[in-house]
Amino acid sequence: MASIINTVRATVLSIANKNNYGYITPNDFNLYAKQAQLDIFEDYFYQYNSWIVKQNARVSGSNYANIVKSLVEVIDSFSSTKGLINTGINLFDLPDDYYLIDKVNYYPNITTTGTITFGSIGTTLIDSAANFLGLVGGSIPVKPGMLITNTSAGGLYSGASAFVVSVDSNTQLTISSNDFLTGSFGDTSYTILNTKGITEVERVSQNKIFYLNSTPLTSPGLLFPAYVLGGANNINTGNTITVYPESIVNAGTVVSQYIRYPKDPNWTYATLAAGEPLFDESAADYQDFELPLSDQVNIINKILQYAGMSIREVTLTQFGQVQDQLDDKQQS
Amino acid sequence: MAYITDYQYYENGGLNPEDENWGSYQYVSLNDIVNNFIVMYVGNDKLINNVERYNILFHAKRAVQELNYDSLKEIKILELQVCDTLRFVLPPDYVNWVRISMYKNGTLFPLTENIQTNWSNAYLQDNNCRILFDQDGNILKPENSTLDIDRITGSKKSIYLNQQSAYNGQEGYFYNGIWYFEYPVGARYGLNTETANANPTFKINKKGGVINFSSDVSGELIVLEYVSDGMENGDDSEISVNKLFEEFIYSYMKYVILSSKYGIQEYIINRSRKEKSALLRNAKLRLSNIHPGRLLMNLRGQNKWIK
Repeated sequence: MASIINTVRATVLSIANKNNYGYITPNDFNLYAKQAQLDIFEDYFYQYNSWIVKQNARVSGSNYANIVKSLVEVIDSFSSTKGLINTGINLFDLPDDYYLIDKVNYYPNITTTGTITFGSIGTTLIDSAANFLGLVGGSIPVKPGMLITNTSAGGLYSGASAFVVSVDSNTQLTISSNDFLTGSFGDTSYTILNTKGITEVERVSQNKIFYLNSTPLTSPGLLFPAYVLGGANNINTGNTITVYPESIVNAGTVVSQYIRYPKDPNWTYATLAAGEPLFDESAADYQDFELPLSDQVNIINKILQYAGMSIREVTLTQFGQVQDQLDDKQQS
Repeated sequence: MAYITDYQYYENGGLNPEDENWGSYQYVSLNDIVNNFIVMYVGNDKLINNVERYNILFHAKRAVQELNYDSLKEIKILELQVCDTLRFVLPPDYVNWVRISMYKNGTLFPLTENIQTNWSNAYLQDNNCRILFDQDGNILKPENSTLDIDRITGSKKSIYLNQQSAYNGQEGYFYNGIWYFEYPVGARYGLNTETANANPTFKINKKGGVINFSSDVSGELIVLEYVSDGMENGDDSEISVNKLFEEFIYSYMKYVILSSKYGIQEYIINRSRKEKSALLRNAKLRLSNIHPGRLLMNLRGQNKWIK
């Protein structure tokens, strides 16, 4: 998709920049852009709920009039799947970038585990000690379609997951994602899981788990496990989950599907001698808006409100607010 | 349960035990019931939403339990030998008995539950019949009550017409076409059919977890037919229910969840209650296997004279 961040910035500057008074620096723009994106992102969930109510009241249509469907599409574009890392017990760390945990699944059948060795790159995974074809007696062969999770604690791709695309040899696999291996893959451990027998780990509240564990009819078991959300532990500052039954302790077997926060937009530029920053899409830290193109108008309206406050231009803020309200009215 | 190949069905894919999948197609697993219910009956546009899975699981298990008590007719059978303690310890998954028989000389003899008791607890007493206590204030109890000792030693008499009957082996006189006895027969004008059984008797001590038998059972094989609650010793993966009751279970779960939720209109609850009851009747009829061929066999004897 073509970059929209540059269009947004150009439009914002065009509206705000009256007599060169309303110039917004790239740094300020990036801050406002992040605010605007988060605001709109969160609004999707409220809209979704509101439209569900309307759908149940039969005031929402189907096909092109199915608003819920289009909202779900946008929310699902932020869906991410990651294996959860634990510290040897049934306490697992949640991903740093999660906004909402949708599902936590338990994969009871581990096919094999190992450590990635030299030569791995991109989607090629090599483990010189592996037995992927199951040639050694007693070991289970790895098959395409199995899930592989990065079980290294810490690191850029900790918890990353991918599917096995092909078993190239007894020690080499091709996997579906290149967001799995880091450059320093020496200590990267992995777990390959059979996708049969997966069960959802149900979230229960802290005040229920005691009672659930106390009664045989509802106590969480391997077929119907449960978890409670907890706070930070002494190792990590993010949220953690405690999974029941307590026998679920194998790294990589608990995999979460969650909605992540959108990445912070970053309008990158190359400074020219004349002083005017020139948009540079190839910069390593460049990041476009992750919201769909249809949200461009909303983003601009939001940024205008922040920019108006920044340059003490009330009319600009009001313009943004009015546009925003009109847009909301139209969509509701 | 997923569909399996014929080889998996008959020979478990070459694995042990070979009979693992025999008859499995009659049943739907608890896991499938819960998953199907969540998929088909729970959602933003359904009658039921915002319900936790443990809630669904609880009601699914309760439905399986209730069905196991009577409607399902899933009878478990256990054979054990009764030794001189005359005691049959109830199996770990026992909920209620259906029939208790004695297997002797190649024949199953159905036993009768004693209408009286044949066991009792007892407290130790002094000569003045005062109850004795230990230093902690607890009542002192003997190992066996007199009733139990007499039963175990064979000296307890029975009102049944078996070996322990008070009249068993008693002699009488036959004079002028009439029998005379030297023990009180009172106004015995006829046979008490309730106790007219020559087989041994039993009585169940539910809390004690044993079946106590009369003394003539010592050394005999006892076959207990009983019902369990279908919870398979807590192994959720083993819990299943006959497919004939699958729809009933969904409607039962729907009903109990709706009826315990706040703000559900009474007519919706009533609708689901009626649906549940109707489906239970349907399932029971189906499971009873009433079909013309079977009825014909029964009706063939309708004109037979019993002399």
